Amino acid sequence: MKRIFDKVIFLIRRSLAARLGIWIALFAALIFIAALGFLFAESRQAVRQEAISHATQTLETTVLRVTSILDEVVVATDNTDWLIPRHLDSADSMFVYCRRILENNPDLNGCSISFEPYYFRDKGRWFSAYSLNQNGVIQTTQEGNDEYEYFYMDFYLQAKLLGEPCWTEPYNDFNPKEFYSPDVIASYCKPIRDEEDNYIGTISVDLSLSWLSETISAVKPYPNSYSIMIGEGGTFFVHPDTTKLFYQTIFTETLEHPDPARTELGHAMQRGEEGMKQLMVNGESCYVFYKPLSTTGWSVAIVCPERDIFSGFNRLRRSVLAIVLVGLLLMLLVFRRIVGRELVPLQQLAGQAKTIASGDFETRLPDDGRIDEIGQLSQSFSEMQSSLVNYVEELKTTTAQKASFENELKVASDIQMGMVPRIFPAFPKRKDIDLYASMTPAKEVGGDLYDFFVQQEKLYFCVGDVSGKGIPASLFMAVTRNMFRIIAQQGHTPAEVAKQINDFITQDNEQNMFVTMFIGRIDLQTGRLDFCNCGHNPPLLDGKFFPLKYTNQPLGLWERDEFSGESIDDVRGRQILVYTDGLNEAENRAMEILGNDRLLELMAGAENLSAEAVIRKLQKAVEKHRDGASPNDDLTLLCVRLLHPQE
Amino acid sequence: MYKVGRFILALAGLLAGVFAGAQDRLIFTPQWTPQAQFAGYYVAQELGFYRDAGLNVEIVHPSASQSALSRMFKNESQATTLQLCQALEVVGSDVPLVNILQTSMNNSMVIVSRRGVDPLTQKGARVGCWFAGFGQLAFCLSDKEHLDYQWVPSTTTVNLFVKGAIDAALAMSYNEYYQMVQSGMELDESCVYRFCDHEYNVQEDGVYMRLDYYQAHREEARKFADASRRGWEWAAEHPDETLDIVMKYVQENHIITNRSMQKLMLAEVLRLQVNRETGEREFRLRPDMVQKASDLLIENGILLTPVTYEQLIAR
Repeated sequence: MKRIFDKVIFLIRRSLAARLGIWIALFAALIFIAALGFLFAESRQAVRQEAISHATQTLETTVLRVTSILDEVVVATDNTDWLIPRHLDSADSMFVYCRRILENNPDLNGCSISFEPYYFRDKGRWFSAYSLNQNGVIQTTQEGNDEYEYFYMDFYLQAKLLGEPCWTEPYNDFNPKEFYSPDVIASYCKPIRDEEDNYIGTISVDLSLSWLSETISAVKPYPNSYSIMIGEGGTFFVHPDTTKLFYQTIFTETLEHPDPARTELGHAMQRGEEGMKQLMVNGESCYVFYKPLSTTGWSVAIVCPERDIFSGFNRLRRSVLAIVLVGLLLMLLVFRRIVGRELVPLQQLAGQAKTIASGDFETRLPDDGRIDEIGQLSQSFSEMQSSLVNYVEELKTTTAQKASFENELKVASDIQMGMVPRIFPAFPKRKDIDLYASMTPAKEVGGDLYDFFVQQEKLYFCVGDVSGKGIPASLFMAVTRNMFRIIAQQGHTPAEVAKQINDFITQDNEQNMFVTMFIGRIDLQTGRLDFCNCGHNPPLLDGKFFPLKYTNQPLGLWERDEFSGESIDDVRGRQILVYTDGLNEAENRAMEILGNDRLLELMAGAENLSAEAVIRKLQKAVEKHRDGASPNDDLTLLCVRLLHPQE
Repeated sequence: MYKVGRFILALAGLLAGVFAGAQDRLIFTPQWTPQAQFAGYYVAQELGFYRDAGLNVEIVHPSASQSALSRMFKNESQATTLQLCQALEVVGSDVPLVNILQTSMNNSMVIVSRRGVDPLTQKGARVGCWFAGFGQLAFCLSDKEHLDYQWVPSTTTVNLFVKGAIDAALAMSYNEYYQMVQSGMELDESCVYRFCDHEYNVQEDGVYMRLDYYQAHREEARKFADASRRGWEWAAEHPDETLDIVMKYVQENHIITNRSMQKLMLAEVLRLQVNRETGEREFRLRPDMVQKASDLLIENGILLTPVTYEQLIAR
C-alpha cells in the first residue's frame, strides 16, 4: 500500500499537469463545498419549516375533527342535564333522557344518569339509568349492583369530586350482571345538583374510542410517520404498536432507561401544551408535533421520523454530491490533458536545455510562433543560448589571457625571489655568522623584502614591508631592495641609509606608496649593532622586543632631514629576529591574529636554536594558527646570531 | 351467636375435610390479579416445585365478582394470600385462619400527597383508598394522628390522583406508587409517607388457610408452604427468569401492565421480604408485629377483641 502511495506521490511530483489539475480540482471542491454547504443548510431549514407547517396543519385539522365530535358529546349533555333536576320526582324519566340523548346523537356510544346511594328510596342502593347504542340498536337498563358499584368508578367520582364537567381517561366498562359497551370508551361526566345545589349524581355520556382512534391513526403526513394519543396519565390510547395500548404510558420506557427528552415531551403533553420536539424514538431521530385535545386532558401527537421528512432532500443531496464528485474528477482529467498539451513546448525546451547543458551549444530551438508566456520563455531561452555561446567564447579568450598572465606572474615571482639572497648558509666560509631568512608572498608576488651582505667586516641586513600587495608592491619592493644594497654598500650607517632611500623614493612617488623597514649593521669584530627602525615591527632580541628609543617614519612618505639611529654595544652570542607583520598579524579562519604574546611564547626558550630552526618553528606556528586559512599577508622572517668568539 | 357461628364453621370444616380427602387438587388464590406480587407462587408452579412436593396445585386468581376471601369461604380455594391486617380482621370476625407461610417482613403502604407536601400536614384532605380494602393501617393513622382524612374509596385511585380529584392517595410501594411514577408524576420523598418508616411497620402478605382445612391437611399445607418458599427463594436468585414467568401469567390474563412495571414491582416485593433488622429473608410471622397490628385495629375499632400470634400460626 505504501509503495503504491509513494508511486502516486512520485507521479504527482513529476507531473506539473497533474499537480495543476489537482490544485484546481481541490480549489473547485472547496468552492463547491462552501456553496453547497450553504445551499444544503438553507434548503434543510426550508424543508424543516415546511415539514413543521405541514405537520402542524395536519395535526390541527385532526384535532378539529376530533374536537367536533367531542363537542357533540358536550352539547348533547348540556342539552339534557338541565332537565334532570326538574324531574327528580320521577326516577323512571331518567331512562327516557338517557335514551333520547343516544337517539338524537347516533355517534354516541352510551349514556348513564347515576345517583347517590339510596337517592330514590324505592329503587334501593343503586340507581343508574343506562342506555347503550350497539350498532344502531339502543338498549336501556338500570345499572348498579353488588358487582357494579358505580359509586367508586371514575366516571362517577371524578364529576363528584371535581364538582365540574370533565372527561375520564378511556376505559373498558364491565358489568357482570348487565349489558355493557364492548368498546373502549371515554366518558364526559357532569355532576347533577338539586335545587339546593347539593350533589346528587352524575350524568355520563360515553364515546367509543374506536372512531377516535381510527381518525387519529389515519393521520400520516409521511410514509413512516404515525400518530399517538395519550391520556392525562400518559397512557397510550392511540399507538400503532398495539402492545403499548393501555399497557404503557409515554413514560414507561424511561423507568428503566431515563430519557429526559421523552420525559419532557410527556410532561408538555400532559400540561396541555402545543408544540414540536425533536427526540430519539426507538433509536431514530424523530420530530414530534403535539397538541391537546379540547378540554379532555388528552394530547395527540404526530411522530415523524427525520429520515422521512428529509428523504427528498437527502435524495437530492446525494444526487448533487455525486454529480459534483464526477464533475470534479472530469475536471481533473480535462485540466490534466489541457495543461499537459500546453506544456509540450516546455518539455521540448527542457530536453534541448539538457542537450545544451551537455555542451552542444549549436542545438537549434524550435520556433512555433507562440507569443504567450511559453513563447516568451522559448525566445528568452534562445537569447540566453546566444549569450551563452558568446560568453563561452569570451571565457575561452579570458582563460587564455589569464593563463598567460599567470605565467608572467610566475616569472615575476621568480625574478622577485631572485632579488633576495636565498642560498643558505649565507656565508659558508664564516663560522661566526648564523643567518637564515625566508620570504613567503601571500600572492604570486609580494611587497616584503629582506637583504643582507657582509662588507668590510660589517654585516648589513634589512627587512621591509611595502604598503599594499601584488605587482605594484613587488615593483616598489624591488626598487627599495636595490636602493638598500646600493646605498648600504657605500658604508653608511643604517640611519644614513634610511635617509637616502627615503630621499630617493619620495621623489616622484605619485602612487604614495611607502615601506616600513628595519635596517641593521653589525660590526663583526666588536659585535656592535647599529640599527634604524623606520616604522617597522620592533624586532626581537633573545626572544624579547628591542628596547627601541625611536620609531622613525616609514620610508617614502615624505622627505626628512634626519633619521634617528640606535645601537647596542655587543650582540655577539645573541639572537636577533626581524619579521614583517605577516607573522604576528597572521589570521586564522575566525580572523583572529597570532598576536605579540603568542610570538613571545614561541620565542621563549628558542635563544639557543639555530637561525634556520627558529624560522622553521615560526613558519610552522603560523601555518598551524591559520588552520587552512589563506595567508592574509606576506610573511618575511630574518634571524641572525653572531656567534660569540668562545662558541 | 358466637357459639352458633363456631358450630357452623366447624360443620363446614368437617364437610370440607371430607371433600378435601376425596380431591387431591389444591386451589391457591392470590388476593389480586396476576402480577409480580405473587411471583414466588408462579415460579413454584412453573418450575414444578409443587409437583415435586407431591401436590396438585392450581392457581386461580380472584374475579371481579369473587374475591379471594370469598372463594376461600365458599371452599372454592384452599389457600389464599392476605395482608396481616386483613387476616386479623377475618379472624376477628370468628373465621379462624392459619398462617402457613409469611412472605412479607415489612409494610409497603404509602400515602402520596399530590401537592408536594407532607401528607401528615394535610388535615381533612380527600385521600383515595382501595374500594376493595387494604386500608386498615391508614384508617388507624388518620384517627390516631387526628388527621380526619376524607376517605374516597375508588376502583382506580391513580386516575383520580392524576386528574386532581383527590388530594392524596394510598398506594402500595410496589404497585400504585410506580403507576403514579409511570404517569409522569415527579414524586419527591417529602410528599410520601411510608408506613414502614414509622410505628406502623406491620407485615403484609402471608399465605392463609382456613383452620378446619389446615387441620385436615397439615402435611399438604406444610408441603405447599415449603414449595412456595422455595419458589420465592428461587425468584430472589433469578429475578430475570422470574420476570419472564410473571409476564406469562400477566399476558394470559390480559392484565393492564407492562414488563418495566413488573420488574420494579418484583424488586420492591423482594426487598420488602427482607427483615430490616437481620437482613435475612426469614419467611416467618413476627409475634411483635401481630401484637402491634392487633392493638392498632382494636384502637381503631376494627377489631373488638385482640387476635394473638398463637391464633394465627400453624400448630
